[in-house]
Parts: sequence; structure tokens; C-alpha cells
Amino acid sequence: MSPASIDDIEDVDPGLARERTELAWTRTAISFAAVGGALLRSHPAAGVPILALSLLIWELGRRPGKPGTGHARARHLQLITVVVLGVSLTALVITLITGW
Amino acid sequence: MTSAASPTGPAATPRPGKEREPDARFTFANERTFLAWSRTALALVVGGLAVAQLLPPFPGVPGARHIIGIPLILLGAAVAVFSYAEWQANQRALRRDEPLRRSPLPRFLAATIAVIALLAAALALLSAVTSHR
Repeated sequence: MSPASIDDIEDVDPGLARERTELAWTRTAISFAAVGGALLRSHPAAGVPILALSLLIWELGRRPGKPGTGHARARHLQLITVVVLGVSLTALVITLITGW
Repeated sequence: MTSAASPTGPAATPRPGKEREPDARFTFANERTFLAWSRTALALVVGGLAVAQLLPPFPGVPGARHIIGIPLILLGAAVAVFSYAEWQANQRALRRDEPLRRSPLPRFLAATIAVIALLAAALALLSAVTSHR
């Protein structure tokens, strides 16, 4: 299939971009779930909230973005940033208080 | 530099200073890039945590695992913040039909990881030398 005809498929069905984005959200949610699961045994107080947040991220990814909903998407992405920062802070605290 | 023009045809060109909703595919692509950076940030944080928690101690160099792990965790946090700022900047450029600026994030990430890797190699060497004395 030539590159031009691939472009044509995108023109006919721009939903492919939407589907790829939903899959990216799913991968992100799985990543958070894996981190939460890994922490569950050694640090359940950190693992359980991260697992719960991964469910929220999975749910956000299933909500399709529509044109003109930029502010809602921005809030979803802000949430991801805040969750990664929260995981970083948790990891930093665990690292600083244990394993010396 | 990538132009933010629509691939589907000549969409209405905004007047200078005016913003319009960009092509949905560009918006989705920008979002996917942000999510990929977020996963990278998460991997860095988990990598730092794993170094500090799971590696055996370096004989003769107390705190070596933390010297490697803590910068990785901080790098993950920085990547998360920078990737959101970049998503915002790209989305603004798309709305204004302006060229996208070149991302400094890959260079920043590569340079920082290289420094941390050199640091880890130096600590491993130091540990080997001090434990054989």
C-alpha cells in the first residue's frame, strides 16, 4: 500500500487517530496499574491509590475527545501530570526512608 | 519544523492573533506524544525506585544506590512537568496555525541519562577498587 493511499484511509476514517489515542491512554493506564501492583506487596499504602488512579485514567481514556473540548482534555492531561508527580514524590519518600 | 496546516485541505487560515480549533488528528497526535512522555517519566521514576530498593549495596560506597536512584526519580518528575508544558505550547501553536517549535525534551533526557549512567559507572568502579583494598 503506498503512503498516499494510507493518507486516504486517514481522510476517510479519521477515527483511526482517535482509536490510536484511546490505545495510548490504555497503555498509560496499564503502566500506572503495573506500578501500583508492584508496590502493593511492599508498600500497600502507596500501591492501592496508584491502582485506583489507573482505573480513573483508563476511564478518562475511554471518553472520546470532541472538537471544542480543549479545556476538558487539558484537565485530563493535567491529572496525568499530577499523578506522575505524586508517584515521583511517593517514590522519593520511600527511597529516602528505606534502604540506606 | 512542522506546519500546523490541515492535511485534509486548505482550512480557513486564521488572521494573525486569531485562534481556531485545529485538525482533530493533530490534537490527537499531540495528546499521544504527551502520553508517551508521561509513560517515559513513570518508567524513570520506577527505575530510580528499583535501583534504590532492589540493587544489592555497593561495597565500600555507602548510599551509592540512592545517588543513582534519586536523580532518576527527579528526572521523571521533571519530564512529566516539561511534557505538559510542551503539550500546551504545541496545542497553542496548532490553534494559531504557527510552526511547532523544536522540542528540547529528547536532548535534555538523553544528556541527563548519560550523566547518570557515567555516575553509576564511576560508583561501580569506586566500589570495586575500595572493596579490593
